[in-house]
Order: sequence, then structure tokens, then C-alpha cells
Amino acid sequence: MIQIQEVTKQFKDKKKYVTALKHISFDVNKGEVVGLLGENGAGKTTLLRSIATLLTPTEGKVLVDGYDTVKNPEEIKKNIGVLFGGETGLYERLTARENLEYFASLYGLGKHETKVRIDELAKMFGMRDYLDRKVGGFSKGMRQKVAIARTLIHNPEIILFDEPTTGLDITSSNVFRQLVHQLKREEKTIVFSSHIMEEVSMLCDSVAMMHKGELVYHGNLEALYSQEGSRDLNYIFMSKLVRGGTDYAS
Amino acid sequence: MLLKIYLKEMKDCFRDSRTLILTVLLPIIMMTGLTFFYEKMVSDDEGKTFTLAVDQSFSNQEEALFAPYEHIEFVHSENPEESLEEGEALAALKLSPDFIQSIENGEEASVTIIGNSFSQNSSNLMNILTNALTVYEKSVTTDRLQSQGTDLSVIQPFTINQKEMTNEDPNINLIALLIPLILSIAIGVGAGPAASDLFSGEKERKTMEALLMTPVSRSTLLFSKWLTIASVGAITGIITLIVVVLEIGLFTENLKKAVSFGDNAAIIISLAIIISIIYAMFTASLLMLTSIIGKTVKESQSYSSPIMMLAVFPTMIISGIGINELGFQHFAIPILNLFSLLKELLFGIIDAEHILLTIASNLVCIIIFFIIGRILFMKDKWVMN
Repeated sequence: MIQIQEVTKQFKDKKKYVTALKHISFDVNKGEVVGLLGENGAGKTTLLRSIATLLTPTEGKVLVDGYDTVKNPEEIKKNIGVLFGGETGLYERLTARENLEYFASLYGLGKHETKVRIDELAKMFGMRDYLDRKVGGFSKGMRQKVAIARTLIHNPEIILFDEPTTGLDITSSNVFRQLVHQLKREEKTIVFSSHIMEEVSMLCDSVAMMHKGELVYHGNLEALYSQEGSRDLNYIFMSKLVRGGTDYAS
Repeated sequence: MLLKIYLKEMKDCFRDSRTLILTVLLPIIMMTGLTFFYEKMVSDDEGKTFTLAVDQSFSNQEEALFAPYEHIEFVHSENPEESLEEGEALAALKLSPDFIQSIENGEEASVTIIGNSFSQNSSNLMNILTNALTVYEKSVTTDRLQSQGTDLSVIQPFTINQKEMTNEDPNINLIALLIPLILSIAIGVGAGPAASDLFSGEKERKTMEALLMTPVSRSTLLFSKWLTIASVGAITGIITLIVVVLEIGLFTENLKKAVSFGDNAAIIISLAIIISIIYAMFTASLLMLTSIIGKTVKESQSYSSPIMMLAVFPTMIISGIGINELGFQHFAIPILNLFSLLKELLFGIIDAEHILLTIASNLVCIIIFFIIGRILFMKDKWVMN
């Protein structure tokens, strides 16, 4: 479903080039839930943005459902839903319904289809009571639900979440975790970044561990546990960095 | 798709109290203040009294010299100059002793007018006094020449006739300067918050990423956002013009006299509205660029502030230029051409060539700015923080 092939991404910062991704390669299969693990600045968001067609790789390429992110971004966008951060991407002066209607129209959904979809999502996330209130007055949890609903409004096959539970309370984080389970049952392909090991361990089929723009490990989670002889993902992650040499550990 | 985005952006903008205040309330307040201030300023001092400090010895005969000027109130003082300094009078008049008597006897006499040229009222009074004394001087000269049997033409070999090129009220020049200035500031101030919000604001709130993730092309997004900024600016401009037209028409006398367009009123007002829309489009293009470059709303506002100041320069350039002196360059340079064209229109002149040149030069600039904006908007660096 997603093929990441030798992707390198460099940013120019005051006449200097900063390499955010270094020759990253791995595949994500249909219906698979992949956790991107890494510290801040590891390159998780850059990789997700590259998959989401928002960034053009300096080298290499990303194929989503067979389409190149650089050559066919419009085709990919129709079938992908992205949530960067837990509660962002909403217009505060619009109501939750207006936000969802607006994005539905941008994805080309008809009026009836939009209404049905909003009703479904409102029921799924328990948003009915505040659907017609302006987002500006919402709590973090309420915003997160609307933002997730916006991500799913066009019923995408591929969903990318960038640190979706950062800064959220336990209840709101649980809403997200339940959602991932449900989307998994619907055979959606999900890639989400996190530095919460328990969350990744609980939700993912496989993991991609990143450190300073490099892919330290990619593979099935169960295979990783048996290979390392431990189910402590936190321990495994740290030991992977140490074993990767002083470059990783530093 | 363009219409959907445009309608949403307009709804979002007008739910922002800043937009409402700056697009509707500010033009009304600015134009109301300006209209009444200038109505008062250009009024011909009817009923206004000027106080003049004179000596205690100032006689009724001397006072009679100023009889045609009813608005002078004489303040008798031991020291007129001191009275002036203390603010008891606007000017002081000092005549040599037995002024009238001396002149009648053919003896030497002198007059000293003391005033403050930096004060409008004092300056007006000094002019009145000079005029009155000049008239008296001429009548004395005529009497003296006639008594000696000399013809008046000996000292007046020719007469000077001064004629104005147009019959327009002189106050129109002032209005022609101020309306474009207020209009350009109002459009800039009105469109500013919308511009900052639509690009740098979206980047700051991370809604830009969500927007870019939709299958809508970046060009469509850019155009619809520009159209929103231009619309908000145009609405501000139109409200400004409506307010000024209504207030001049309903609440003023002198300004109303100055801007009477006769049969062309509807055409001139329509053209002024079209020019305001074109200028709003031009301003929107510039504000769009500053907003794309700005990473945050605050940064965008810092970049856009100089754009608001641009309107001050044409005011300085055009203030001393008559309508007959307006040439190609005045209509080819954006912003300056707003001032030039509105000046022509306020003088009742409709010149198709100048109108087309103004529109064309603005459109060329809009296209250039739009191309630059599109290049920036296509680059990752400028659309994501």
C-alpha cells in the first residue's frame, strides 16, 4: 500500500543543509498498523509529510497505492486522511459541523453523502451535543474528536496520525486508541508516529524506529519481541540505539 | 470548488470581530470625522468674529476704515502688542498719532499690523486689515492725483485680470486629496486582518496542512484566498465611498457645493467604486505576499505595515499638481493613479484613456504579484512552518 524507497529529505537552513531523512526504505501493507517510533527531531513528521505529499523528497520516492507522491499527489490525496497533532487543523470561528462540511466539500462529497457521513462520525465520537457550536469554545478532547472526524470525513483507506495523543488526557487518548482498533477492523492502513511506547505496543502490527533521520529498525512487533527476548518496547528501543553504535546513542 | 472555498473564507472572515470593526465601523468613523472636520474648515467664516487690539486713542473715524468688514471686534488696549501676546486678540493694529489727520494734511503716517502667520485666524485677520488699508490707500492716492489735475492712468498704466481655468470650488482640491488618502488607508486596514489570517494565520493554526492535504489544487486555494482578501478590501472601499457621498450630500453645505457633479454624478460614483475595487485587488495581492512570507500572524502584520504607509507618498506628490498637469506617469504608477484618477473624477472629468491606463497598470501589477505568490505558495518552505 505504501512503499518508501530510499527517501532522503534535506532542508536548507541559513546556507546550511540539514538532513531530516537519510535513505529511508520500508513498505506498509494494506490493513497494517505501523507505529513510527523516535525521539523529537528523529524525522517522524518529515516522513509522514512526505507520505502525505506535503513534502517532496530530495532523493528517492514514495509510492502510495502505486501512485508517486510527486507525480500524482491529487490521486493520493483522495484516498488519504492526515492528522498532524491531536487537535489542530480546525477553524475556530466555524462550528464543528461547518468544519466537517467544508472539508467534505473539498474532498468532493455530495450534500447527502456529507450529511450521512457527519451523522455517522458524530455518533461514533459522541459529538452530537456540540456539533453546531463554534470550535473556539471547545475543550482539547472535543477538538481532538472533531479533528479526527475531519481526517476521516472522506472515508480514506490510508490514515496518517502524527503524535495524535500528545498533550491529551487519559480519556481523550483512549478515544483515539479505540478508534485505531475500529479502523483496524475496517482494514484501514494506518501509520502513526508516537514516542509513547505503550501506545505503539498496544495498537501496532509493526514498528519503524527512527533516530536522527535514519531507520534503526523496521519489522513485525511480535517478531521483534521474540528476537529481543523481551516485550518491553522502551528497553528494546533504547538498546537498538546503543547497539546501533555511538552515533545512535549520542 | 473556488466558490465553495471563497464562501467559507468570507463567512470565516466576517465572523471575526476585527474584520467587522475594520471594514464597517472604521470607515464610517473615519469618513464622518473627516467630512465634518473639513466642512468646518472650508466654511467661509460666516458669523465668525475676529478680535483686533488697538490703542486707546483709536478713533471712530479710524474705525470707519474697517466698516465694510463686520466681523472685526475692536479691543481697546494701552498696549495692543501685549494684548495680542496674552491672547486677548488675534492681531494688533498700531497707527501713527492722528493717523487720518496726518494723511489729510499730506503729512507722513504709518501703520503696523502685528499678528501670527502660523495661526489661520490671525492670518485671515491680517489679510482683512491689509485689504481694507489698501483700499483706503488707493482712495487717498486717487484724491491726491485728482486734486493736482493728474489722470489716474499715470500711475496705473495697465490692469491685471486674473482668471481661473475652471469654475470649480477651490475646496474640491482638498477633497480630491483626502478622499483617496482615506480610501487607500481604509482598504489597507480593512483587508489587512483577513490577509494575515488567510495565509500566515492558517500556517500558525496548522489548518494550512489540512487544507493542502485535500485534492484541491494550490492555485485554486491561492486564488480563492486572494479573492477573499480583495472582496473584504473592496467592501471596505465601497462602504467608505457610500459614507462619504451620503454625509457630504446630507449633512454638509460647502462640501456639497464643491462636489456637485451635475448629470455625471452616477457615472462618476460608479467609476469611483470600480477604481476602489481595482485598488482593493492590488492591495490584496501585496498583502497576500506578505502573509505567505510571514510564518505567524504577527510576522505577517509587521511585513504588511509598510504597505499601508505607501498611500502617504502620492498625497505628497499630487498635492501641488493641477488636473491639467496630470500626465502618463500619474496614471501608470499604481497607488499614485488612484489619487490622480479620483482627483480627475472629483473635478468632474471623465477621461477614458486615463481610466483604462489606471486599470491596466494595476492589473499588470496584480498579475506579477500573483505569479510571485503562486511560486512561493508552491514551495514547501512558505506553506508549512
